[in-house]
Amino acid sequence: MSLFGASIRRKEDPRLLRGDGRYLSDIKLHGLVHAVFVRSPHAHALIRGIDSSAAAADPRVVSIITAEDLPAGLPPLPCIDAEETTKPFNQPILASAKVRFVGEPVALLVVEGDRYIAEDIAGLIEVVYEPLPAVSTASAALAPDAPLVHFESNVVDVLEYSLGDADSALAAAPRTLSERFVTQRYAGTPLETRGVIVEWDELRQGLTMWSSTQVPHSLKATLVGYLGLPENAVRVIAPDVGGAFGVKLQPYPEEVVLGLASRQIGRPIKWVEDRYEHFLASTHGREQYHDVDVGYDDDGRILAIRDHAVTNTGAYLQRLTLVEPFVGVSMLSGPYVIEHQQLLSTVVMTNTTPLNPFRGVGHVQAAFTMERIIDLVAAAVGIDPGEVRKRNMFSKDVFPLHRGIGNVLAGEIIYDSGDYPECLNRALAAAEWDEFRGEQQRARDEGRYLGIGIGFFVEETGLGPYESGRVRVEPSGQVIVFTGACSSGQGHDTVLAQITADELGVEFDDIVVVHGDTDLVASGVGTYASRSAPIGGTAVRHAAGSIKEQAIKIAAEMLEASPQDLELVGGEVRVKGSPTSSVSLAQVAGRVAPGQPLPEGVDNYTLDATDIYHPPTNTFSYGCHVATVEVDIETGVVTLLRHVVVNDSGTLINPLLVDGQVQGGVALGIGGALLEEIAYSDDGQPLNANFMDYLVPAIGNMPEMVVEHMVVPTPLNADGMKGAGEGGAVGAPAAIANAVADALLPLGAKITETPLGPETVYRALQNAS
Amino acid sequence: MKPPDFDYLAPTSIDDAVKALGSDSEAKVLAGGQSLIPLLAFRLASPSLLVDLARVEGLDHITDEGDRLVIGAMTRQRRAERDPMVANRCPLLVESLRHVGHPQIRSRGTIGGSVAHADPAGELPAVVLALGGRVQVTGPAGDRTIEAEELFQGFLSTTIADDEILTAVELPASGPRTGWSVVEIARRPGDYALCGALCQLEIGDDGAVVDAHLALIGVGDRPMRAHGVEAAILGGASPTEAAALAPDGLSPGSDVHASSEYRLHLATVTSRRALTQALERAV
Amino acid sequence: MSDHDVTISVNGLERSDSVPARLTLADFLRERLDLTATHLACEHGVCGACTVLVDGETARACLLLTVQADGSEITTLEGLTAGDELGPIEQAFWAKHGMQCGFCTPGFVMTISELLDDNPSPTREEIIEGLGGNLCRCTGYVKIVEAVEEAVSLRGGGA
Repeated sequence: MSLFGASIRRKEDPRLLRGDGRYLSDIKLHGLVHAVFVRSPHAHALIRGIDSSAAAADPRVVSIITAEDLPAGLPPLPCIDAEETTKPFNQPILASAKVRFVGEPVALLVVEGDRYIAEDIAGLIEVVYEPLPAVSTASAALAPDAPLVHFESNVVDVLEYSLGDADSALAAAPRTLSERFVTQRYAGTPLETRGVIVEWDELRQGLTMWSSTQVPHSLKATLVGYLGLPENAVRVIAPDVGGAFGVKLQPYPEEVVLGLASRQIGRPIKWVEDRYEHFLASTHGREQYHDVDVGYDDDGRILAIRDHAVTNTGAYLQRLTLVEPFVGVSMLSGPYVIEHQQLLSTVVMTNTTPLNPFRGVGHVQAAFTMERIIDLVAAAVGIDPGEVRKRNMFSKDVFPLHRGIGNVLAGEIIYDSGDYPECLNRALAAAEWDEFRGEQQRARDEGRYLGIGIGFFVEETGLGPYESGRVRVEPSGQVIVFTGACSSGQGHDTVLAQITADELGVEFDDIVVVHGDTDLVASGVGTYASRSAPIGGTAVRHAAGSIKEQAIKIAAEMLEASPQDLELVGGEVRVKGSPTSSVSLAQVAGRVAPGQPLPEGVDNYTLDATDIYHPPTNTFSYGCHVATVEVDIETGVVTLLRHVVVNDSGTLINPLLVDGQVQGGVALGIGGALLEEIAYSDDGQPLNANFMDYLVPAIGNMPEMVVEHMVVPTPLNADGMKGAGEGGAVGAPAAIANAVADALLPLGAKITETPLGPETVYRALQNAS
Repeated sequence: MKPPDFDYLAPTSIDDAVKALGSDSEAKVLAGGQSLIPLLAFRLASPSLLVDLARVEGLDHITDEGDRLVIGAMTRQRRAERDPMVANRCPLLVESLRHVGHPQIRSRGTIGGSVAHADPAGELPAVVLALGGRVQVTGPAGDRTIEAEELFQGFLSTTIADDEILTAVELPASGPRTGWSVVEIARRPGDYALCGALCQLEIGDDGAVVDAHLALIGVGDRPMRAHGVEAAILGGASPTEAAALAPDGLSPGSDVHASSEYRLHLATVTSRRALTQALERAV
Repeated sequence: MSDHDVTISVNGLERSDSVPARLTLADFLRERLDLTATHLACEHGVCGACTVLVDGETARACLLLTVQADGSEITTLEGLTAGDELGPIEQAFWAKHGMQCGFCTPGFVMTISELLDDNPSPTREEIIEGLGGNLCRCTGYVKIVEAVEEAVSLRGGGA
């Protein structure tokens, strides 16, 4: 039986379970010195001077680096922006004249000893600040007299898209509604923070950087550029990464400074971000509100939508910051046919930590907004919310579906495959929608408020531009798979081995997967946007396919047969119809080992193949969440009862692992729905930058979870795979908010924001009565 | 996020501990460390000396003295939580302990440390206050006891002097026909509550409430005893009527988790629920 | 400040060292003894990633100074299993996919080992209560609960 599609145990786990994981902070090098960053305590201030004389007098100090000490003219890290209008808003490598958010790095201190000593001495570096007025919310930043984060306006970009004629359709619509939907700022907060070890090699005149990153190749390119080194002089290694979720998907200023420092110091340097720093200096996500006008008819059909989204992107544009404002509107209508759309997305800067994508970027806000709209429409026309969805959904016959909305990053939006109505039906059945209505009524008779809510989403996954896959077979029989997609816990080693085993028929245990090392993997993009299976997996599938072709060609000589008469089965090349006449893949690899003449027509002394897979367009996964909740109307406390997900990620390589992805995503979505919010004072001081006050969901917050898969393969890649990593986080807040709203429907409470903490729900009830 | 530098002494007698504490005006007592060490990690506290009580003889005990339990300051919370005698003699304490952090915290956290830390959202200070207990302290001038009503002074502040050490907590043992309850509203299980009510009631043979104790957490700069609610329930008011008095005299602060107004509302709700449950249990 | 001599039994071996008072047990294990399975994710006692056994009871190694542990017996994940053989809890995590990035896993395994020693066949509610002090950002906890239930049966409990 093929391993492809089987729920097998992971290759990664025994090593990790024995305590043999090698995360960044576990790495020790001889002569290691320790770094801390001096960070701004002000949300907005001019730097009037830095006096590091007291610190420098300490004999344990190895180096103190401020902006002045950096090479002149060092550009800020880039933001990907097709129009390049945003360059002036990028973050400098170290702040020089001005700081714009609490936590912005101002200086690097490197000491002998350990992090304890580094923190002691960092306290001696005196930065003289002249505080400036600061602003922390988009609304405040849009006010006419708001403090300016950068230049003449806090609005740095406005994205605009339209379909049809929304103004006329709204004016003609029999019914309309207008509302503001608010999604708060929260963050990926992986359990492992960021961290870097960098070692300068005098002999090689280059460096090796270990970093807890999702994008080692991109980090390498960044270091090559900033240090002016040739490619061979920079090696980046992502060791075991303890979760990332998007927080680690870009090169950061700290990595650049540490690279520069290592060349200056000539000794290996270690920096591990602590949790407090992480909240200040690692990117956040989400904070976005949508002002919508919706036109619909008495049958619950949505005729037109006008949406103006405003995103608080923080103090600087990071590499992919614009994805949040873009996706927030471009994916607004999700699975629904809405002919007339006018979409406006305003990018606003404030004196807060910058935004960059994390798990479900933009889609979360889009789904929350759209799914709340559907339920408001359903309530207004008195039709069941499931039925209203069905009336507005695309049928399964429309694919490929050109949405007619451009994409700043990855071309046109073309939905590739799916069956939305079937997904909805299955989710409603799994959630026992009709039965729940009876239960809900009985509970209401007892004064208890139960609710049920749907969160349907469509999600752009499997982004390009490309991923690399390489497969090599050794004469020992070992099969080595190299991938540019590196793991931060997803299980790359396992699923890529499953693909390889499926293609070559070799033993799962004979396959080793290598990733996260730029010396070992020549090119790669990394792991984000739910791309590793559809893009990285396809590249490996193709590379393994090439191995198969090569092997047959080589074996043809060995078996004295024509290639057309050979097949690769169970790790052996054999003559079709004559299974006893065969050679193993190991033997084939041995036949092309150096030290002997090659078979005729074979060019390489290796059984090795690389594929660079460029997907034609992106894949669009989707799913339907149905949440049931109980609301304590006296306190506003929401208790989650059950959470059903029916998810289509296309073909599944390992359903067990996809279950895990969905369940983990749902947990993050629950955090967003009920618990998590990065809070700032009006003047930009962080209020909960710790794990006591920033509420990552705990086990006791989890409902019973049911995950079902529906498989509509995408035509875009060989195996029909679509991305699976984020949908759990996307659909959950919408479903939970709708369930809370459903529970409180008889009381008239208006639910338009997350997180739905007890006081927020309590206030909604107070305002209703 | 590493602690600042400090020195450390681990005396074995209370006299030596008092001497050590008196030797340095920036010294702090280390009990279980579950509240102090996070403060050190954030460098929000920077004592020059920690005096660890863990090796001091005679601070780890639970004694039934008839009308009261005497619990040594260094008794680990988990030990008290698991002690059947405590469950029998002071069920409110056991139920409160189950709300203190998580098992990993309670295995190190101590009864005395938590009371002396005086967190306004902490359960143990509120238990001492609710039950009208007291604490034993030892200092350079000798031993003294401080009644709960006199103990809590303000945010993380008690009337225990800087050179004194809390050595034991005394809690009145519960009588027959006693009911108890701890009701908390927290965002996650084990978190500090936005607001909580700790209640113990005793009823007489006729079912009337003859003894009432109610303290609230999370509604001020210290645990607050709700005398008005207690008087009302003793006077025959229903839990709903009595709990309506809970916000009287309170002025909780607002923070990132809850506003003052909402906390006052929760004071009423948690008080009513705690009174109701305690009454149900008092049979 | 002067260093303090400590002798601590770690995974059955007596370890003597001289440490500053402020060195946390977590850093002692990780930096002095190279026992890096004890992970640091918050360093203020919330996440449980650094959970170890101190004299048989779970404790957060970030909230314990090494000097406080003088004379104690410490068990870390590395000490739970002998050689390459995985214990029943680790087997269960593997079988049920109870882990993704693995960073929180050692803390969970330590907590579960104590939980099951105390209560060999916990109910689902008892499992959830027992694991309340460990945060996981990857799994949503569903498969961790399943792993505990699997570990119960592998250990021969739950009968």
